[in-house]
Amino acid sequence: MHNTTLSRAEAAATRPVSRGEVADLVREAQDSCMPIELVGGGTSLDYGGRVRGAARQLDLGGLRKVVDYEPRDMTIVVEAGVHMSDLAATLSQENQQLPIDVPRACEATVGGAVATNWCGPRRFGLGTIRDYVIGIHAVDGRGVAFKGGGRVVKNVAGYDFCKLLSGSLGTLGVITQVVFKVKPLPECVAMVVAKCPDLAVAEDALSRLAMLESPPVAIDLLAGPGWPSFSEDSPAEGCFLALRLEGTKTEIDWLFGRMQAELAAAGTRGIDRLEGGQGENLWSHLVEFPECGEVPAPSDGAAAKSPMVMQVIVPPSAVTRFVAELLSIDSRASIQAHAASGVITVCFSKFTPSDLSPILIARLRPSATCAGGSVVVVRTHLEGLTPHLIWGGRNDAVVLLERIKRQLDPMNILNPGRYVL
Amino acid sequence: MDRSTLELADELRRLLGPKRVLDSRSDLAVYECDAFVLEKNCPSVAVLPESTAEVAAIVRLCNERGVAFVPRGAGTSLSGGGMPVGGGVMIVLTRMREVLEVNLRDRYAVVEPGVVNVNLNKRLAGTGFHYAPDPSSQGACTIGGNAATNAGGPHTLKYGVTVNHVLGVELVTAEGEVVQLGGPIDGSPGPDLVGTIVGGEGTLGIVTKVWVRLTRNPQGVRTMLGIFESVDDATQAISAIIGAGIIPAALEMMDQGILVAVEEAFHFGFPLDAEAILLIEVDGLEVGLDAQRDRIAEICRAHQAREVRFAADAKERLQLWKCRKQAFGAIGRLSPSYCTQDGVVPRSKLPHILQRIRAIGKKHDIRIVNVFHAGDGNIHPILLFDERHAEQVKRVLAASDEILTECLACGGSVTGEHGIGLEKLSFMNRMFSNDDLDVMGRLRDALNPGGLLSPGKLLPTAGACGMEQIHPGRHAPV
Ligand SMILES: Cc1cc2nc3c(=O)[nH]c(=O)nc-3n(C[C@H](O)[C@H](O)[C@H](O)COP(=O)(O)OP(=O)(O)OC[C@H]3O[C@@H](n4cnc5c(N)ncnc54)[C@H](O)[C@@H]3O)c2cc1C
Repeated sequence: MHNTTLSRAEAAATRPVSRGEVADLVREAQDSCMPIELVGGGTSLDYGGRVRGAARQLDLGGLRKVVDYEPRDMTIVVEAGVHMSDLAATLSQENQQLPIDVPRACEATVGGAVATNWCGPRRFGLGTIRDYVIGIHAVDGRGVAFKGGGRVVKNVAGYDFCKLLSGSLGTLGVITQVVFKVKPLPECVAMVVAKCPDLAVAEDALSRLAMLESPPVAIDLLAGPGWPSFSEDSPAEGCFLALRLEGTKTEIDWLFGRMQAELAAAGTRGIDRLEGGQGENLWSHLVEFPECGEVPAPSDGAAAKSPMVMQVIVPPSAVTRFVAELLSIDSRASIQAHAASGVITVCFSKFTPSDLSPILIARLRPSATCAGGSVVVVRTHLEGLTPHLIWGGRNDAVVLLERIKRQLDPMNILNPGRYVL
Repeated sequence: MDRSTLELADELRRLLGPKRVLDSRSDLAVYECDAFVLEKNCPSVAVLPESTAEVAAIVRLCNERGVAFVPRGAGTSLSGGGMPVGGGVMIVLTRMREVLEVNLRDRYAVVEPGVVNVNLNKRLAGTGFHYAPDPSSQGACTIGGNAATNAGGPHTLKYGVTVNHVLGVELVTAEGEVVQLGGPIDGSPGPDLVGTIVGGEGTLGIVTKVWVRLTRNPQGVRTMLGIFESVDDATQAISAIIGAGIIPAALEMMDQGILVAVEEAFHFGFPLDAEAILLIEVDGLEVGLDAQRDRIAEICRAHQAREVRFAADAKERLQLWKCRKQAFGAIGRLSPSYCTQDGVVPRSKLPHILQRIRAIGKKHDIRIVNVFHAGDGNIHPILLFDERHAEQVKRVLAASDEILTECLACGGSVTGEHGIGLEKLSFMNRMFSNDDLDVMGRLRDALNPGGLLSPGKLLPTAGACGMEQIHPGRHAPV
């Protein structure tokens, strides 16, 4: 009897079920100067920096209620621990969706997706998760429960905490509840693939697609041995374009015709429209890629986890140039570029600590920064990388964010080391 | 003018030369208020910088002297965001009006803050791209002001408000440093600071350059008018259209009161006996548009639309939009003064809120007409009165308050696009708890630690210098 009570109390201590409990726990932690590591679904704890030093884990999986769903208003209120797949299932009953494609959606939580400001392949057509957050509840590093936004799709009252907490990686507040605006599900979806004999052809195809009046919602450029073969040709040579079309049946038929014409004019080959299972299969590869990050092992070619996954963000017009550079660094790297948004995820086939300086510090980061972009180490086997090495130097934004951090988390107990704050 | 003001003006002249520093009463009168005219106060000095370096130097000087300063664009704010509470230096950004770069392949443009919204789109004409946020005031308001207020417009229903179109900003901080946040590429890692600054109503920094997203023009558009016998049917149709999973590019409502004025001004041929019309536009691929248009027409008819008219051609479409966007200008025909309110309700609550607005108007004996962004649930009831009658002013304020209170009761907001500014300070602690406001105060303290940048705005306990909190009841536009 005594034991059960105790374990229940312990469970409550690490797995709160309300914002009030979260606030109590954070306040306690602040009083004892004990850092907290925030855990949602645990799928991205190795994304970016790991929490520094001893920390108490706060499991937000207990906050799992769909608080309110009003399909006619196209808004939904959910607690932070709701799994992305459950959210999708709830919305799809009403033919609606949150069009953010998160890997391992059965484990990943709403709070984690917002805290990482996740974006998947559909970023070009449909944005990132922050574009859908219209209200947010959180607890700051002092244990103060606060909110921003509200439940309506348009609202400019007060400072926009929905934005500030998007991408904050748990360093500015513990997200406990999120209000999303949602979208109707498209009537039809089709995937289109095309093979590019070389990157020059890919560049031509991409610049044509960029100018289209109604471009696809996703334009991915895929290179390297990590990708399954979509045609007879070996994927290791050249690269593929994978496009996703959404709309009514008539619209998709028209769009496909248009894509075919543009892709053919650019010199791509094997243009194919993948329907049903085949299309879904490719789509799930595209969504899961950053997470599985598999590359063939140098020895026997069997799939192995990549030792180093980076995200390189550059202007769309610079994507093929950077893909070429990445392949020249590691010809067996697997690459996925959300080409129209300039987001390149690269899984290196090999990467040792001695590669950090020549590849990341001296080469990729300066050239991406020079193009107005950035490089982030998404996950790696290497130990002991500092947050600045992972995220890049202390830029203007970080200087201002540090000031905000001091106000919202003065004792620095929320996810220390996770981000540069 | 007191001595310290004279000294300050002299120092500013040393920075900017004699012509771009204004300190005479007559020159300053223009800056005593923006489009929110209830509260007026002259700045001590107004300056017209032409570069970021000048803005930074002005801000540093204000810091050295402990003088408040307020950024200003075109001064079309309807919430008093640019009113110089307690005087100080007004930093007018309209001379920084260059479009610095247009890059179609990477879909962005870089503009100075004083670029007038419509001028950017004029510059983009013929490229196949446009800048999507289109506030009704776009002929006058600046991109810097739009960024500060996170402005919306009819087409932001489908395309998103200003924050969805700002990729980066150059900012002069409250202490006079120049920083760049974001840039030509969307999605720098880490917290979305750009998104936090946008909509900060000029209290978190002065925007001196903006990287905006460019949007591809749609292949086709279809514009139509749904004509309804009753406001109730029209609002039911709105929530039915959205509920059916259709997101039009724009979905606006005008009621009979405003139609009469618009018709008198523009002679479009609106039916004057209809209680409400919906102006609906869909855009996208040509092949899909007729089907979408027909589906919307069908929904309108199912909600007792008397008639659904399709715009015949581009000319008619432009004429329709002109009527909508200049509706405010036509109101002068209805009464000597008017007060445009701004509130938001969940879309399914539109029938309810419009019924309440009618009842509230009746109760306070104030005529109210409506023209608004219906698809977003963003209402703009316009209260008509004569400001020479103090007693009418009182009733207008009471009615405004009651309407906004009802928006909150519906789960909505007291502002969808005009901002809190000065006007709605008294609502902040009705929408937000003390803890919410405390954290907002901390965010402001982080970026505006001395409180010299636009004091007395947005947060009810703002470190106001000089002017005391005005009676809350007076915070409404006239
Ligand atoms: C007839 C009419 C119709 C309108 N229709 C709409 C509409 O459809 N949608 C909508 O959203 N609004 C609308 N408005 C309100 C107004 O036009 C918007 O708020 C607009 O964004 C203000 O721009 P501005 O250049 O006039 O800014 P100002 O009024 O000069 O300033 C607005 C606020 O921004 C701050 N600010 C200005 N420039 C900067 C800068 N560079 N850096 C930092 N802060 C700055 C000011 O201090 C102030 O707080 C309308 C107004 C009128 C009069």
